[in-house]
Amino acid sequence: MKLFLSLTVSILLGATFCFVFWVVASHDYQWSAIAPYWKNFLNGWTTTLLISAAALVLSILIGALLTSGQLSPHRVPRWLSRAFVEIIRGTPLLTQILIGYYLIADTIGWDSRFGVGLVILSCFSAAYLAEIFRGGIESIPKSQWLSARAIGFSEFQTYRHVIIPQAIRRVLPASAGQFANLIKDSSLLFVISVHEFTMQARETNANTYATFESYLPLILGYFILTFPISLLSRHLEKRFAYEN
Amino acid sequence: MRIETLNLSKIYGATKAVDDVSVSLGDEVQVLALIGPSGGGKSTFLRLLGGLEVPTAGAVKIDGSPLPRDEDALREVRRKNGFLFQSFNLFPHLTALENIVLPLVEVYGRSRAEATGRAGEVVERFRLTDHVKKQPGQLSGGQQQRIALARAMAHDPALLLLDEPTSALDPEMKAEVLDLIAELCESGQQIVLSTHEMGFAKRSADHVVFLAEGKCVEDASSATLFENPETAMVSAFLQKVMKW
Ligand SMILES: Nc1ncnc2c1ncn2[C@@H]1O[C@H](COP(=O)(O)OP(=O)(O)OP(=O)(O)O)[C@@H](O)[C@H]1O
Ligand SMILES: [Mg+2]
Repeated sequence: MKLFLSLTVSILLGATFCFVFWVVASHDYQWSAIAPYWKNFLNGWTTTLLISAAALVLSILIGALLTSGQLSPHRVPRWLSRAFVEIIRGTPLLTQILIGYYLIADTIGWDSRFGVGLVILSCFSAAYLAEIFRGGIESIPKSQWLSARAIGFSEFQTYRHVIIPQAIRRVLPASAGQFANLIKDSSLLFVISVHEFTMQARETNANTYATFESYLPLILGYFILTFPISLLSRHLEKRFAYEN
Repeated sequence: MRIETLNLSKIYGATKAVDDVSVSLGDEVQVLALIGPSGGGKSTFLRLLGGLEVPTAGAVKIDGSPLPRDEDALREVRRKNGFLFQSFNLFPHLTALENIVLPLVEVYGRSRAEATGRAGEVVERFRLTDHVKKQPGQLSGGQQQRIALARAMAHDPALLLLDEPTSALDPEMKAEVLDLIAELCESGQQIVLSTHEMGFAKRSADHVVFLAEGKCVEDASSATLFENPETAMVSAFLQKVMKW
């Protein structure tokens, strides 16, 4: 049974890889067509990197805020955070970007595409991080709370010295995974014309009709950003597994 | 120690964990043992005495003054006590030494140098100096429990509360922890412990409270209770547990 499964998986995936490789390799490339646009690609890639890095920081802050709201002893912040998280997680990012930019940002008269894109992306990612953080905090055994109370720690001291340091280790792998998602999700910001990586590829394609040549760099460009994070996430997962 | 409970009750949902218990202990009692069948209410009674839990009804008086009911005042009471639980009591992300130092710094306001010095004294007394740099996960159960005892003793608690301190340990480690507790008993430390180790209770405790289904079935000096139990329930219990 095991052998049959490994065989099937190998054949299916092997065939898929071969087919894609054949398609990619057999194309008659006209790299010269997109060569004049290399600077646009580089700018787009840098913008993706920048907006992802900024959204990473902002989403950690918002995520932490949402988590503290959800763990609050008071009903109102708990409901509000819960509603925020559920709405964001239950609707497509594309819709959020469109509504956020054309409705909300427009109403308050904010027209920085980069700025609005950054905030929407951060909110989106924060909703997922909030769930990861909350799961991490709730996974710390009750005995740790009892222990901290017995020592005479206040609730704040318990979070600061006992719960959060342990929770951080537990949520690192999943958070790293979420950051990789964040980088890929930033590609949707082209719909409001943020000049990130995907947007540049689309424009190059529109100008040159060199579809393959315009889109192939995306694969490489995104992979360079996400692969190290994926490695880091695996490494952290392993380390965490040993510690237990 | 002067401990009095007046119609003390603690109810969890439909369970009367401690049910209308009134006992009165005078200064002649230095070591109090709580015994009785599993689920009888020993742990709950111990947590009530130590200020870790607020009674549903009734009151606890220590040295004549009733324990407060509000969290901030109770925390002050807990800070004067030391607690040790069955297991998993240490903070796994800190070294053994840091487990002892952190409360001294954060709760008792000692300087780091002072706290480290004090921790050094206690671990030396408990013959643990070789293990202080390790994390709890790298220590045996017995060593972990001795470190936890060192942590509970580091601030010279007025009252040391031990909840089945050896139940999670195998026989050899049991012995090493019981030796240490016996030493503390002899040094004059005031102790309340819940235990299934009848031999130890008989030898080291001055007074014994027998709890079953939340009720205090019998309370007497340990000589009286173990040699001439008054009730059929206690003599049957002792016969059963002493048989092996
Ligand atoms: N936090 C709690 N929530 C709900 N029920 C509880 C809680 N703590 C204790 N109980 C219940 O109260 C009763 C007494 O429990 P307790 O732990 O005090 O007994 P015990 O004598 O210490 O037992 P053991 O010897 O097994 O440790 C039990 O029926 C238990 O299920
Ligand atoms: Mg118990």
